[in-house]
Amino acid sequence: MFSYIIRRLLFSLPIVFGVMLITFFLFFVVQSPNAMARRVLGPKASPQAVETWLHNRGYDKPLLVNTRPGEPFYDSLFFRQMRRLAAFDLGNSDVTGRPLKQVFASGALPSLLVTFPAFVAGMCFSLGLALYLVFVRNSAVDLVAALLCVGLMSMPVMVYIIFGQYLVAQVLNYFPAFGFHLQGWSTLKFLLLPVALMVVSGLGADVRLFRALFLEEMGQDYIRTARAKGVSNARVLLVHVLKNGLINLITLVVASLPFLIMGSLVLENFFGIPGLGNVLFSAIQAPDFAVVQASVFLGSLLYLGGLLLTDLCYAWADPRIRLQ
Amino acid sequence: MFAFPQIPRRFLIPWVSCVVLAMAGCSNDPYPPLQRATREDGSPWLVRYGAMPEDPRSLDPQVCYDSVGKRILEPVQECLLEYHPFKTDPYELRPCLLAGFPEKVAKPDGGILYRCTLQQGILFHDDPCFPGGKGRELTADDVLFAFQRMADPRVESPALSTLQDYVLGLGERFEAAKKSGSFDYKQPLSGLQVTGRYTFEVHLSQPYPQLLYWLAMPFTAPVAKEAVDYYDGKPHGDGARDHFRFHPVGTGPFRIAEWKRNSFIRLVRHPGYRTTTFPQEGWDASREAQLRPLAGRALPLVDEVHMTIFRESIPIFMLFRQGYLDGMGLGKDAFSSLMTPSRELAPKYRERGVALHRDTEPSTYYMSLNMEDPVLGKNRKLRQALSASFHSQAFLDIFYNSVPIPAQQLLPPGIAGFQRDFKNPYGYDLEKAKALLAEAGYPNGRDASGNTLEITFDTAATGADERLMAEFEKKQFEQLGIKIRVVENTFARLMEKLDQGSFQIAGGSGWGADYPDPENFFFLYYSKNFPPGGKNASRYKNPEFDRVFEKMAVMENSPERESLVLQLNAMLTEDVPHILTMHRSLFSLTQPWAPRIQSNPMLEGGFKYAVLDSGLRGEKRREWNRPSLWPLGLLLGTLMAGAAVAIRANRKN
Repeated sequence: MFSYIIRRLLFSLPIVFGVMLITFFLFFVVQSPNAMARRVLGPKASPQAVETWLHNRGYDKPLLVNTRPGEPFYDSLFFRQMRRLAAFDLGNSDVTGRPLKQVFASGALPSLLVTFPAFVAGMCFSLGLALYLVFVRNSAVDLVAALLCVGLMSMPVMVYIIFGQYLVAQVLNYFPAFGFHLQGWSTLKFLLLPVALMVVSGLGADVRLFRALFLEEMGQDYIRTARAKGVSNARVLLVHVLKNGLINLITLVVASLPFLIMGSLVLENFFGIPGLGNVLFSAIQAPDFAVVQASVFLGSLLYLGGLLLTDLCYAWADPRIRLQ
Repeated sequence: MFAFPQIPRRFLIPWVSCVVLAMAGCSNDPYPPLQRATREDGSPWLVRYGAMPEDPRSLDPQVCYDSVGKRILEPVQECLLEYHPFKTDPYELRPCLLAGFPEKVAKPDGGILYRCTLQQGILFHDDPCFPGGKGRELTADDVLFAFQRMADPRVESPALSTLQDYVLGLGERFEAAKKSGSFDYKQPLSGLQVTGRYTFEVHLSQPYPQLLYWLAMPFTAPVAKEAVDYYDGKPHGDGARDHFRFHPVGTGPFRIAEWKRNSFIRLVRHPGYRTTTFPQEGWDASREAQLRPLAGRALPLVDEVHMTIFRESIPIFMLFRQGYLDGMGLGKDAFSSLMTPSRELAPKYRERGVALHRDTEPSTYYMSLNMEDPVLGKNRKLRQALSASFHSQAFLDIFYNSVPIPAQQLLPPGIAGFQRDFKNPYGYDLEKAKALLAEAGYPNGRDASGNTLEITFDTAATGADERLMAEFEKKQFEQLGIKIRVVENTFARLMEKLDQGSFQIAGGSGWGADYPDPENFFFLYYSKNFPPGGKNASRYKNPEFDRVFEKMAVMENSPERESLVLQLNAMLTEDVPHILTMHRSLFSLTQPWAPRIQSNPMLEGGFKYAVLDSGLRGEKRREWNRPSLWPLGLLLGTLMAGAAVAIRANRKN
């Protein structure tokens, strides 16, 4: 197991390097550092201001390989940034100069406060509803629920947000339409609506998926045996079906856990939640390459970490699987 | 018959209690509780709530150039001069940190010096950067430090590229610092000489009356060296200190009390503020009753300003409707909900007491025509024909809800020399345009050999709106029978093309006044301002224009100067190096408890003049935000029905 983890971690290194290389190319193929400086400084910026901006951030270096006489080939923008990231030094924002460690640290908590409860509540609701639908399968309720789920799946997230803000915050006046203030229990009033909307927007797809998984379990021999032994319907569902069905969900659930920290880009923007989704959105608009690069770097690490964790959890939950 | 199954009470009561308790603790108020409710005298603590689109990128006075940054910096960091809040046609300055206007003295070597005297007793905000945390008195050394910072390459001041041509020593010190890698603040600066504790002189290499406008910008605003040294962004045992660019320490009516990135900025009044008072005059007679009671009053008039950062416009409209924002700019998203087809405020909002304002920015937008292009550059009639074929009013009706003003001349309203009744002879007139095109050698859009004239139109098509605009512009020009090839560029690529002169017509050009002087617009066509160093993107070169411009640029406003401005305008009108589109105007709304006091577009917010009726606001907020409880009952009923179905299914099985 230990050697498996080490091997997977070593395999991750070239993947992260490749992701960073692709990000670098994509960003600078779209716009040169000079163009980026012009966008940040505005159309009124003088050539002198642009030159100073580029120099102070190291963007006056060659992009990939330094071919200038007398200078080492690795003294380029890409290698400098990779060297820095290898030491987990995220650097400073290109636009504001703020240390990115600070930027990410301050954005992670608001993001998690929305995504984690939404994830947990979403799983609970989806599992509960899926079990309920399995329980009342082939009834009118099941049919109506199927239609509703398809309807929920068809709507884009933006519709949920705008409609939710309008209905809950504007018409019913329950929760704020916008804003986020970390102040003890009163923080809840800023979280309930975005969390609820995140839960509802994912409900349709999840319920249909979980229902299908549970129905598959219902047809297994061990369920028939349990029923023959006189186990109640509720116990069959809540103990046997749920437990065995959950193993199939590990891939889906564990891999998405690390991503909770990166927040939800659209939701955070519409609700003014100062999380990492918001940070990334403004960095793309700015444009702030340092923030985009650091986000991709952290995102790729989290993704690889999530995949590794999934494999480990799978092996733990299903004794038939052995990691070698 | 269906029997409703009984749900155990022990299950129901805690859940219902939780929901009721949660709802009781909730409201749709998006703000945290106030940190204080009353002033020392027991009167209510007045907080204004506003919106802004993003975090300021830098609040360093020598760097801040964008409107978002200036909106926050303006109330915190005062300038040596400031714009009069009411005198906007033409714009006027008034002393702020200075005790009076600078005294101009001509030097024998052709240079100019301005003698300035600071007001005495002005205090910086209390801040840990000062000994004992108490703000010290402002002195002339702080002005010198600000000018030195402009020449420091690490500061990246955008003002340097212009001011180094006039203020002695700035350019040399910048180059020296660039070479040595650091700026030597101990060395004096020849362009700014401190002559006493409160007096200093600004030395210019040549006449530059626009310097007064620069003294009303934050670039020249005095900075306490202690603040820059203290807020250096490094850890000092008590964690990392914010950088100075996020922690300005000024002398203004407000200080930044709290800044949550991506969320909000809270400004709280500076108790020691006494630099300026509410003006005694300068407003229209129609506003006498509203403004006279405020004349001479100490500023600011409210205690706190809470600016929330909104990246989307829909929530702004929602919060405004709920009474949680005191004002809002009227964007496209909310336009149809708030306005009638006749461009008036919808009756529903008029009844609420909401007021509609229309402000025109000192800006002009146009399409640049390349004067070095072999087809356009040598054919004045062709440029005139193109200009006359473009229906700017229709363009503004379709894409801007008819809000901006169609531009007839380069100068926008409010700038000295703007002619209110002037009508561009090459404004929209399709018949005239066709006649001009024939005179240009392209009757019905064809040249002598019968080939259709083809012109390239470069545009920064960054979104769906821009694409539609380009399509409209193409159709307008093609009414002449010519062919327009639209090239969509990224913003940066279009900038490059403008720099290189590799275009024929470039859309979306424009200029917003840095300061309200005709020089700040006509310099766009001065032949020594060719790109990449200058902004003459059309590459307009006219020796007569240059001669008149050079004379006008160094003059104070006077009838003689105005006649030169008219000459410059006439030359541009005839030569058509651009096709004028609009002077940008914006609609904005204010709530009945927060009437508009000043509307000077050169001020970003003007928070120190803002007023508030907090009693009326509280009353209206309560009235507009009563929660409806029936949907909760409906939700509970649905859940119970679902449970009943499940229980019934279980019994059946």
